Amino acid sequence: MSEQATSGPQATPSPQATPSTRRQVGIDLQDAEENRALVDAIRADNPELTIRHLPGLLKLQAAGRMVINRETVEGKLGREWDTGEFQLALVSYAGNFSEWDDDQIIVSWEH
Amino acid sequence: MTQAMPRKRKLPLKERYALLTRDLDWQPSYVGKEQLYPYTSYEGIKVHDWDGWSDPFRLTVDAYYKYQAEKDKRLYAVLDSFAQSQGHLALSDASYLNAIKLFIQGVTPLEYAAHRHFAYLARYLEGPAPRFAALCQSVDELRHAQTQIHTISNYNKYYGGFHSWSKMHDRVWYLSVPKSLFDDAMSAGPFEFLISISFSFEYLLTNLLFVPFMSGASFNGDMPTMSFGFSAQSDESRHMTLGLEAIKFLLEQDEANVPIIQGWIDKWFWRAYRMSALVAGMMDYMLPKPVMSWKEAFELYFEDQMLGGLFPDLDFYGIKPPRHVGDAIAEKDHLSHQVYKILHNFSFAAAFTTSTPTEEHSRWLASQYPDTYQQLYQPVWDRHRRIEAAGGRVFFQGLPQLCQVCQIPMAFTETDDPARISFRRSDYRGETFHTCSNGCQWVFEREPEKYVQAWLPVHQIYQGHCGGPTVPDVLAWYGIQDGDNGEYQGSPDARSWADWHASNPSPAPER
Amino acid sequence: MQYELRYQVIEPKRNSYQNVIDRLGDQPATRYQEATLDVEPRENFHYRPTWIAGRELYDPRYSALRLTDPYTFADPRGFYYTPYVTNRAALHDEFGKTLGYLEDRDLLAKLPDAWRGVLASVVIPLRHYESGAQLVSVAGARFAHGTSVEQCCTFAAFDRIGNAQMLSRVGIALGGGTGDVLTTAKQEWLDGAHLQPLRRLTEEIMVVDDWAEGLLAIDQVDALLYPLLYAGLDERALLGGAGPYSLFAQHLTRWFADQRKWLDALVTSWREDPEHGAANTGHLDRITQTWAPRAQEAAAALSAVVDDRLNGATP
Repeated sequence: MSEQATSGPQATPSPQATPSTRRQVGIDLQDAEENRALVDAIRADNPELTIRHLPGLLKLQAAGRMVINRETVEGKLGREWDTGEFQLALVSYAGNFSEWDDDQIIVSWEH
Repeated sequence: MTQAMPRKRKLPLKERYALLTRDLDWQPSYVGKEQLYPYTSYEGIKVHDWDGWSDPFRLTVDAYYKYQAEKDKRLYAVLDSFAQSQGHLALSDASYLNAIKLFIQGVTPLEYAAHRHFAYLARYLEGPAPRFAALCQSVDELRHAQTQIHTISNYNKYYGGFHSWSKMHDRVWYLSVPKSLFDDAMSAGPFEFLISISFSFEYLLTNLLFVPFMSGASFNGDMPTMSFGFSAQSDESRHMTLGLEAIKFLLEQDEANVPIIQGWIDKWFWRAYRMSALVAGMMDYMLPKPVMSWKEAFELYFEDQMLGGLFPDLDFYGIKPPRHVGDAIAEKDHLSHQVYKILHNFSFAAAFTTSTPTEEHSRWLASQYPDTYQQLYQPVWDRHRRIEAAGGRVFFQGLPQLCQVCQIPMAFTETDDPARISFRRSDYRGETFHTCSNGCQWVFEREPEKYVQAWLPVHQIYQGHCGGPTVPDVLAWYGIQDGDNGEYQGSPDARSWADWHASNPSPAPER
Repeated sequence: MQYELRYQVIEPKRNSYQNVIDRLGDQPATRYQEATLDVEPRENFHYRPTWIAGRELYDPRYSALRLTDPYTFADPRGFYYTPYVTNRAALHDEFGKTLGYLEDRDLLAKLPDAWRGVLASVVIPLRHYESGAQLVSVAGARFAHGTSVEQCCTFAAFDRIGNAQMLSRVGIALGGGTGDVLTTAKQEWLDGAHLQPLRRLTEEIMVVDDWAEGLLAIDQVDALLYPLLYAGLDERALLGGAGPYSLFAQHLTRWFADQRKWLDALVTSWREDPEHGAANTGHLDRITQTWAPRAQEAAAALSAVVDDRLNGATP
């Protein structure tokens, strides 16, 4: 079995034991006109969402879990939308894609 | 964008995707499984059910082509308009481009290497689902390598240091750091490659390696590189996902895999972290408009997001944070300064230029490193500035000793004593080998038979394999041309820059 | 009214990367050239592969077929990543429209029985053949010597999955939106007598060591199957009241024509290589002699079934 040897004067730090519901998950989206509706939909379905604006980039964060619902997006967009189209908007993310099907995308931490 | 498939589908996305990917596979009966997949048992990894692999990104080939073609159309439109408008004139300064020279010489070849070796995984992994994911990544990495070549092509026309990136990656001393890292991964077995690159490189350290360059581009007026960065990032999301899926899948398949994977995490965190020292030097010293300090980036992208976010997830499987992470944390106030000192001292033999930080830049560094900069590093730079004010410029007259593993010159100091060089020695088959740290020594001693093969640039120069016995001989062999190397002030790039921005531009040539 | 923009003229110091200049002179280069020439590493590899003895990470010895300079071969299509995905996006977009049209009007279900039978039991199972062809092609993506060559193999590998997915989507449509036809097709691939020569051949090609030999062996099969089942049945379908068959098959015919362009050019480069041409020709002939009879046997088995069904002998 592997052992965690201490190295130098500083012991290996223990990670924060934050339950997964409270750790932030995030998605970074291109700050482009065509993504407005998508962002509105995510905001509507994730009440505690925070959004930070950086040049060309929107950083969306939520505690533990973020959900994107196709129906909500279609409502804001005014046309049919495939969850696959999310790939064009996505720049980066923190968390896991714990679900991605025809109707829903979920980003969360698992443990 | 036109919709290819009609709305009414009886098959849910997951099932349809499975039919279009993993269901294409079949159990061979005319040839043996081991004949078809000869490389998947020698590492000791056990997989009982490849079907357990999950595909969060369900990208069919037609969707891949559609989205990627669209992204490239947008990217090349930016590149074309930048070239047409002489956009390079709007950079913060020509010296910024030293960061991009390092990028095309050091990073672009790694994208290409990833392209080639993900093709290896696309052939030799037994599970059809990860094979297809690897094939997509292979094609993505070719995209990255080629779009980078094209993005930087415009700079190559007007500035030095870009012209021979591929040959230099094979030959030049500081580039053996990234080259040896990827050679290490490619020469390893398929599962180690998966953990080393997909997980350690593309997930654990991707932000540390990638974001400084892309953000640096954004802050310094480099629109093409910034656009490339954004465009590549959504590919990177797929890659990160593959890395995370790879590690979880293998950990879930068999408990015997856990210690093997822990060993790889320990090894590859350290190897990739050591390589990122070049990025640290770049972001703290090479950007006229800096974005953030290495220390700040390391704290955000590694300590917070990874140690604080990812590793608690992995703890569930019995995986611990990387073995030598404490050393990395301990040296975060030193790393960039020590690396840039090396580059500054040796840039007469590099395909980029360096400069002593200005007083303004020095003040920024002092504010970012309150515990170390003014005490340890500013005095050195002040000395350089005095020498340069008197018309001199210090370059190290000789060749440095390199670490046998990471191949960086041995200029790192002990984590508890910045006045002592960190120097480790190991014996193997009657010879002594030197490494720069606990981390590299540990990596060496676990696979000495591998690391003794290394093509160490300094040894090779002394053995006469690098063009000849003199510096000019070696520089010629490297492909370095006048203006590529040395000091930035007064260099051809600097002079061109001044010329092109002069308040009385020379009149347009007669038609 | 026309106007002339004034702008600052800056003379470039060089027109391209040095390796391109060394080969072609100091003039503007194409994107294909910059993205392809001399990209693959050549020397000073740090460690030997642990998964094979006696080879470097990049090594011409992964195949018996050699080129003195791999960059004397250039893809006649000029494909680097971007034009490749753009071209295929158009191909798949058109296929998608064809399929949408066929599905909306339920035209596959309305095919004459014999044609539905050919589709279900001969053509759709070839999705697995394409998958095997992908495995063979991707070996070239890793082991071919020179970016010019490996790049074509990479694209060919991805193309095969594209072909497999086109066939699978037709199978799903034929099954009324379910996976039923695909399930039966897979059984046929595994057990159907008419497909065993092909499956056996495919599996044996998949374990060939030499990536180029594997690729050429597959090409022997393609060169028979594609004309037989796609282009070759086109007119028969149109005249036989099976227009939908022709509609979807045309996309595969188009792909095959594209594949020929680079593969034929590569074979020519091998044959005409200044140093290795004679030896290569010997190998190419040997490869043809080894695999052509097997390919003929496999194609004949399928052709017999197609003829049987379409001539009305078997329902």
